[in-house]
Amino acid sequence: MNGFLIVNGLSGLLIVSSLLVTLAGNPANSARFYALQSFILVMLFVALAGATGSGELYLWSFTALLTKVILVPAIMYRAFRRLSDPTIGSGAVMPTALSIVGAAVALILCFVVASKVTLPAADAIKPALAVSLALFFIGLACIVAQRNILKQVFGYCLMENGSHLTLALLAPNAPELVEIGIATDAIFAVVVMAALGSRIFDTLHTLDARQLTSLKG
Amino acid sequence: MLTFSHLILGLFQALLLLAAAPLVSGLSRMVRAKLHTRHGPGLLQDYRDIAKLLTRQDLTPPNSGFAFRLMPAVMLTTVLVIAMGIPMLTRFTPVAPIGDLITVIYLFALARFFFSLSGIDSGSSFSGIGGSRELTMGVLVEPVMLLSLFVAALLAGSTNLGAIGSAIADGHVRSATATVIAALSFAYAIYIELGKLPYDMAEAEQELQEGPLTEYSGPSLALIKWAMALKQTVVVAWFVGVFLPFGSAPEMTFFGLLFGLVAFAIKLVLIFAAVGVVENSVARVRFRLTPQHSWVGVGAASLAFVFYLVGL
Repeated sequence: MNGFLIVNGLSGLLIVSSLLVTLAGNPANSARFYALQSFILVMLFVALAGATGSGELYLWSFTALLTKVILVPAIMYRAFRRLSDPTIGSGAVMPTALSIVGAAVALILCFVVASKVTLPAADAIKPALAVSLALFFIGLACIVAQRNILKQVFGYCLMENGSHLTLALLAPNAPELVEIGIATDAIFAVVVMAALGSRIFDTLHTLDARQLTSLKG
Repeated sequence: MLTFSHLILGLFQALLLLAAAPLVSGLSRMVRAKLHTRHGPGLLQDYRDIAKLLTRQDLTPPNSGFAFRLMPAVMLTTVLVIAMGIPMLTRFTPVAPIGDLITVIYLFALARFFFSLSGIDSGSSFSGIGGSRELTMGVLVEPVMLLSLFVAALLAGSTNLGAIGSAIADGHVRSATATVIAALSFAYAIYIELGKLPYDMAEAEQELQEGPLTEYSGPSLALIKWAMALKQTVVVAWFVGVFLPFGSAPEMTFFGLLFGLVAFAIKLVLIFAAVGVVENSVARVRFRLTPQHSWVGVGAASLAFVFYLVGL
């Protein structure tokens, strides 16, 4: 039971770190916070592996450490560091306070949904399940309520972390192959989006999604 | 249960803070001078200031009324009453009826009310605007304080400050994450309440935020300065008592209290040193932007509340 308490506690930190990713001033800082979030996710996997006694999850956490904590943030940090568009500011459409309250509301709604789940595996981890759903929606909100196209990439990454967590919570004994599928998926998506982002910046000299209305180059 | 020894302890800690308050404000002045690499006044300068002001003549503007004359006494006594109820050397509140979070917040509001009322009552338009600024600040800060303390109270199952503090010290709170977020947003509210940069400058009498002080002189001004230094100390003691009660005495024994006193002094000095560093490394924020900042505090406190509800 105690192990599940740690899982739930760590998932609370995931919400905080996802807000840090969303609200960070520039994409390079977002990359740092994303690495932090992925590290918390890895810790959560280890705690979950300890609580459920699943051997596969230890392997998952190791591959997630390599890909999400090191590789993906490093790619994004290197790609995004040199791209800066001072006219866009933080790029957020909503005020900061409203984003935080919005995350809180999303978490409540997701908890209402998650409390309806009657799977025996999900009894002890309902708060964490709610967090994994909320993480997905925070990522979605980050894409919708952001004008900076590089920050929108982080929205995708947050959604991806959320779905990864859902999978780990509901199917802790899933084979390693599934995990490899998710991890490679994320890496390639991020590489493609980073390349697209820098191409857009080179051609149009802007990172503002509202400016991307014409086809060029 | 309120016994005679509890009452004595409450009086003792209130008087102790009253005696130490100019020392604490002197410490902030010293830290600021060090960070500005200038010589600056000594640690005891605020005692000398107060002693000097107490010997001067007390002048009141001809248009001022009773609120203006009453304010220094009301402010000092209100803060002293709060100081009696806050757990400082012990885990429990010495005078339990005062050590309730709602009582403490409203007592602070009373002091603030009289502070701004005296500004309006002085008859000077500058003071009046300063008073309304002070109330605006209160409107912005109090929601953050209330909400974050309510989360802590819900987690601990009591609105008594000592009960919240001991629940946190013993690890009996249901959710660590919610506690930490509530503590952070409360610390933020406390920081604004301290009246430091980037939101305020506590020693700038010629500026709008200290506007209510413009017409005061002599012993009245000395009392207000003393009360303001005491308020800063009490506010930090409030945070320490609720969220950082580690090291304070769970029982009322002589050595427990002595150890609690040492721990409390160390925490106070560390916090004021940290506040000094923050205060001197930021620029003044425009007053128009302060609401945006304080709403972030409200957002964080509501997030803590949601974490409590969800059971994280």
